[in-house]
Amino acid sequence: MSEDNQVSRKNFMEVAIWSIGGIITLGMTIPAIAYLIGPAIKKVQEQVWIRLGSVLKVEIGVPTLFKVKVQQRTGWIVNEEEISVYVLTEDGRNYIAMSNICTHLGCRVRWIAEGNSFFCPCHNAIFDQEGGVVSGPPPEPLERYEVKVEDNQLYILGG
Amino acid sequence: MATRLGNWIDERMGFRIVWDAIFLRKIPKVNWFYTLGSASLFVAMNQAITGILLTIYYVPTPDHAYDSVQFITTEIPAGWLIRGLHHWGASAMVVLVVLHMLRVIFYGAYKFPREITWMTGVILLILVIGFGFTGYLLPWDQKAYWATTVGTRIAGTPPLIGDTILRIVRGGADLSAVTLARFYGVHVWVLPASLILVLAFHLYLVIRNGISEMPKKGE
Repeated sequence: MSEDNQVSRKNFMEVAIWSIGGIITLGMTIPAIAYLIGPAIKKVQEQVWIRLGSVLKVEIGVPTLFKVKVQQRTGWIVNEEEISVYVLTEDGRNYIAMSNICTHLGCRVRWIAEGNSFFCPCHNAIFDQEGGVVSGPPPEPLERYEVKVEDNQLYILGG
Repeated sequence: MATRLGNWIDERMGFRIVWDAIFLRKIPKVNWFYTLGSASLFVAMNQAITGILLTIYYVPTPDHAYDSVQFITTEIPAGWLIRGLHHWGASAMVVLVVLHMLRVIFYGAYKFPREITWMTGVILLILVIGFGFTGYLLPWDQKAYWATTVGTRIAGTPPLIGDTILRIVRGGADLSAVTLARFYGVHVWVLPASLILVLAFHLYLVIRNGISEMPKKGE
């Protein structure tokens, strides 16, 4: 073996130190990233049918507000949260249920009977009674829930 | 390319002289006991990194502390690992720092010109014990609660001023939300800030004075 091919003690230590240091750094960084993004990549809660109330409460042709409490688990805290849903029917048989969350930036819209439209106070957005955008910045109509009627009770699919 | 970039930065920062002073300084021929200081430093860095990560989810109030710790351990990916490293690192820290101190005592490395290095080391030992004491309460389980009840009661034993000390440590007469909050504040702000300052000075002195040679027979 020639002199040049021999790995000196100094070079060996240098490679060893950088390698071990690199392994330790990776061993710390990868779990740290998983730890930080964990809650973001967690699967969302399973959707369940939520009972809103009697169909008789819904006036024909006018969005009717239902408020229901749902159990929500965020982190280690379980609490009751109130969600608001507008239900509209034209014929008393087919129902549409709309979220009151503005599709622009998440403020809450409310039904203004005189204007015959939904209004969002944050950026003056206006939606028609079926949730379609009339004016303002929202990119899409109000979100709809899947609806079913059982024994004259309205249910929506949410979670 | 890498060398040119290195040169470009070095011309503006002069980092090589600092790097060489830290990592390429001359040391006498010593044994493995001389690595205990570096080992303490390594575990201290582990404690800092895992500790910062734990604060992302931990909440220091009586109604959330225990649940948030359980949440970290059982539901966050690698949470058990991060908490485990911090938990066992804490014990390792105390053991390593004491062994480091014993090495300095047995090799007489505290003598001239290293007296100030020794004194800052004593302060660092006290800080490490402070970390252990305040950190022990944070999981807010039975062990934490009663250990701190006893520990703060011990702090209250000196005559005359004892009761005042107890009240200051607990933030009132009883162990409460105030105690938990102030132990947390001390654990994550007061002690780390102090540790960084004293540790930097300690390391400066180690580099400035060099490490001591092993004592020879008959000296």
